[in-house]
Amino acid sequence: MNKLKVILLNLIFCLQVLITFLLLAGDKIKLPLWLQVAGRLHPLLLHLPIGLAIFFFILILIPKRNYFHQQTLDVITFLVLLLTSLLASLTALFGIMLSLQGDYGSDSLTQHKISSVVLSWLLYLFILNYDWLKERRTIFYGVNVFVFALLFFAGHTGSTLTHGENFVFEPLLKEKKESLSKENSSVFQLVVQPVLEKKCFSCHNESKAKGGLVMTSIASFKKGGKHGKEWEEGKPDQSNLIKVIHLPLTHDQHMPPDGKAQLSKMEIDILKFWIQSGANFDINLSALAPNDSLRIIASSVNISKLTTEERIFTFAAASKGVVDKLNSPFRSVFPLYQNSPALRADFFVAASFDVKALEELSEVEEQLVELNLSRMPVTDKELDIVARFKNLEKLNLNFTKVKSDLTPLKKLKHLKSLSLSGTEVNSEAINHVLLLPDLKELFVWNTGVVQADQVKLSNQHKNILITWNIFNDDMPIKLSSPMIVNDGVLKKNEAVILKHVMQGVTIRYTLDGSTPDSLTSEIYKAPIPLPGATQLKARAFKEGWLGSDVFETMCYVEGIKANQMELLSKPDPSYLGEGSKSLMDGRRGTAELFREPSWLGYRDNSFMASFDFGKEAPAIKNIVISYGRNTGSYIFPPEEVQVWVGDNDKDARLLKTIKVPQPTANETAKVDALIIPVTNTKSYYKLIAKPVAKLPSWHSGKGQKGWFFVDEIFFN
Amino acid sequence: MKDEFLENRLHVNRRHFLGKLSLGLGSVALGSLLIPDLFTNSDDKVPTLGLPHFAPKAKRIIYLFQNGAPSQLESFDYKPLLTQMAGKDLPESIRNGQRLTGMTSNQTKFPLVGSHFSFKQYGQSGTWVSELFPNMAKIVDDICVIESMHTEAINHDPALTFMQTGAQQGNRPSMGAWLSYGLGSENKNLPAFSVLLSRGRGNGQGVYSKLWTNGFLDSIHQGVQFSSSEERVLYLKDPEGRDREASRKMLDNLAELNNINYKEFGDPEIQTRIQQYEMAYRMQTAVPELADLSHEPDHIIKMYGADCLVPGTYASNCLMARKLSEAGVRFVQLYHQGWDQHGNLVGEMPLQAQDVDRATTALVMDLKQRGLLDETLVIWGGEFGRTNYCQGDLSKDNYGRDHHPRCYSIWMAGGGVKPGVYGETDEFGYNIIKDPVHVNDFHATVLHLMGLNHEQLTFKHLGRRYRLTDVAGKVVSGILA
Repeated sequence: MNKLKVILLNLIFCLQVLITFLLLAGDKIKLPLWLQVAGRLHPLLLHLPIGLAIFFFILILIPKRNYFHQQTLDVITFLVLLLTSLLASLTALFGIMLSLQGDYGSDSLTQHKISSVVLSWLLYLFILNYDWLKERRTIFYGVNVFVFALLFFAGHTGSTLTHGENFVFEPLLKEKKESLSKENSSVFQLVVQPVLEKKCFSCHNESKAKGGLVMTSIASFKKGGKHGKEWEEGKPDQSNLIKVIHLPLTHDQHMPPDGKAQLSKMEIDILKFWIQSGANFDINLSALAPNDSLRIIASSVNISKLTTEERIFTFAAASKGVVDKLNSPFRSVFPLYQNSPALRADFFVAASFDVKALEELSEVEEQLVELNLSRMPVTDKELDIVARFKNLEKLNLNFTKVKSDLTPLKKLKHLKSLSLSGTEVNSEAINHVLLLPDLKELFVWNTGVVQADQVKLSNQHKNILITWNIFNDDMPIKLSSPMIVNDGVLKKNEAVILKHVMQGVTIRYTLDGSTPDSLTSEIYKAPIPLPGATQLKARAFKEGWLGSDVFETMCYVEGIKANQMELLSKPDPSYLGEGSKSLMDGRRGTAELFREPSWLGYRDNSFMASFDFGKEAPAIKNIVISYGRNTGSYIFPPEEVQVWVGDNDKDARLLKTIKVPQPTANETAKVDALIIPVTNTKSYYKLIAKPVAKLPSWHSGKGQKGWFFVDEIFFN
Repeated sequence: MKDEFLENRLHVNRRHFLGKLSLGLGSVALGSLLIPDLFTNSDDKVPTLGLPHFAPKAKRIIYLFQNGAPSQLESFDYKPLLTQMAGKDLPESIRNGQRLTGMTSNQTKFPLVGSHFSFKQYGQSGTWVSELFPNMAKIVDDICVIESMHTEAINHDPALTFMQTGAQQGNRPSMGAWLSYGLGSENKNLPAFSVLLSRGRGNGQGVYSKLWTNGFLDSIHQGVQFSSSEERVLYLKDPEGRDREASRKMLDNLAELNNINYKEFGDPEIQTRIQQYEMAYRMQTAVPELADLSHEPDHIIKMYGADCLVPGTYASNCLMARKLSEAGVRFVQLYHQGWDQHGNLVGEMPLQAQDVDRATTALVMDLKQRGLLDETLVIWGGEFGRTNYCQGDLSKDNYGRDHHPRCYSIWMAGGGVKPGVYGETDEFGYNIIKDPVHVNDFHATVLHLMGLNHEQLTFKHLGRRYRLTDVAGKVVSGILA
């Protein structure tokens, strides 16, 4: 045991001499290569003396209560101390060798070096005087506490070198960082720095400057490392920063070194485009051209960070109670988003507006950032109240009664957007607000601000976007068509009423099927009485507008009601209507909607119906069949119509057969009338209408059966 | 036996109590140290309803739904190759196993056909727009055309339902209902989700109320359909001979009765009903102010086109949409029917385009000049695209196109959208080659623009949480300004 002790003590002494020598003369010698390797073992070795030292502290703290064999314990304790000292010396020596290989920053290194060497000396002295010290408990424990403290300090400074400052508490400190926003930070801070922070800072910082390069501060980053500047502005391919990333992974100079987290494609692109655009540290995202690669890539990075743009407000939020109280059906007050102190207020329903409602907002005058008074009867007088909301950024006064005195608004130093559209303000009035320091947008469409001032004002206030009338189309356009109020089947002696949705329109009409024109056709002044089934065409005209499309409709006048009506053939099951009732219910169908009870549809068989007028048979002059035309839906006029007349169904004979002219091309859908003149006083009529058996060759359904749709039949 | 139990209890003395207590409290304290938010209310993590989760870009949406699916090849997706290859068969390598609808599945040939209508580039963005939309061409620098939309459905009903609710089967809440649920109503006098219908002159497909359903959400979030007649909201007027005072009294009494019922049964729909009566009462003042178009000045009528005064037209719905949106309606949904050009595309599409072109443009411009475009999101588009080949016979001057789910174009304008063209299809206009946008992604993006995280806007129903995007969807950052 004693022999071992002596050998070890001598060994430690030798090491101490070496340490002292290297510490003093280290920068004057060059280490042989194999010693450099030994130096690099320092990070491995250092854990042994730390562990042993802690073991030693535990051993000496064991109370002497016969848990262990006291003598053995003493021997072990001493042996542990001996080993600790030996390994500490060895570690210190290797550490110094490593430090001679360079690349480390000054402050932390010096602290680490000195403290470690002192520690190894101290341990050596401790062993030499171990027996003497053991007798004097106070001093013994005092020395131990000192050694422990020194060990802690040396270990800590060492870890700062490898992991960077605040490695342990970083996760806790990170959250407190100020959030960046597009407005207040440069592209460098926003996207470039985070890449460097993640992938480079751990080796290139103030305390550990590998290759002499410090990236954590802009000034030293600009200076570059041992090889000089890290980039050539605008030339990423010739920049060292990019080159080292692209070296093969096994290459010595490849960055980040093999085993560390590598850069992603996106991160490389960010660095590349940043250098390409001039490696500017101050430029803002918005200052880059919209098609600039850096801007595009920067805006696509990390949406949550870049697009939510949480504005920072310095004022405190109003209490929820206050905000809730301010909400009424006609006034909404709510935060811009969750947990935001900023409020927006909207007013609705002009008829319910009260100035007091605006005044009450004073309770949140600090928090109010957006205010919408659009269409409220707010006058210049009320602007004094508005001016109290000193943090207002967006103000909507569209279609209010404000007029000339906008001076109160000058107090709104943060106002960014002001809408005055539809008010009576003039160029003079807006001069006051144009001087607001933060104003970015001003809307003066449809106001007294004359368009003639547009160029002048826009030139004077280049940073304000002033929006005038943007719809500059003076081409006259077509009016909408007139409308008919009592469309369909008129009562006897009822006249047709026309109308138009616009004021000051002239309606001209014809009743003979010709197209109305703007000069000669009849002007509509009063309701038009109609003799019977008539095709009415009408158009609207107005100065400065093109004449409308033709409004066209088939107007019917109710006829003589039959006593008895019978449908002799069944309509198609899909278009049953209401049976025979549909034929004389005074409801005209529309040509777009055939699946409706006013229509009866036939395809496979002919339409056949009888009408019995009873004993006092009226004199009938004509029969009107109202039918649908819709070539797109295969709905055609009937091919042939037969009129049978008699006193009853037995003696009815064929009176007339009419071939109906067929459409020769696709046409727009409409309801048309077939007017069959008859002169008759018989009481029984039978009508037969045959659907088209084969659709004409021009039609897409050529050769197939056509449809026949009937909605009303009139006897006049 | 009983005594022993009693006795045992008596053995628990203060010392035991304090000992156990300290152990219990200690573990609780340790737990709270290890997991700091262990005892914070877990509801804090679920964003509260009624407010955006983060700063929103848009506050309101106007969705101009082009029902029936307008052809992308005749509107925004310019494919000159199709004109060159007109009549040639669609290469199998391009079709690549795409299923067909029942309408073309027995077609033996798929002759390619290019646009009958010419295209030109417009604006600073150089966006291609067809001659059918001369007015929209004027606002290309305000809109973001997404040429790479794609969907999973191939027929109208499932595709429409998918586009509206995020699922092809019915029963899920519509987008507007989700927004009403997530953000609430800005103007309490009007429904947060309003629906307006119109019908064009082309081949039409119907719309039905399941498209604006509240699904499993509270029925207060259901879309309210405005009528196409002159009276925009039916039965809103007080009956003749009854004044508002009486109505008020009637409603108060009715609410009292309903509340009694609610206490007995606890059915939340009763509360909804009370709220709906109240809103209807307030709508009596709010709606006439809105629906009255007679005071619109001539230059506004000129902008939207003369049809804007004719109730039930697309133009009048656009004007109405602007007014509703201006009055704080969160989601205005328009449906314009008639875009289903299986045949006679050359005849029908110009008519359809005429209906919507001017009024749509006017809406965007009108919002812009009022300073509202940056807080309103306008969306224009249909439920899927149309094939690059002809359905039926290809004649010299007419053709038709079938349904095509693999790519179609829609556009968005306003609130937080980056103008320009997003995504790209191949030269055949059949497959997407760059930046595809799935319907779920579209929904996620729209919610994002409204300040909502699509993964956090959930509703628990039948034992699990549902989202508009259900289990998919990514925010398309490329179209965000």
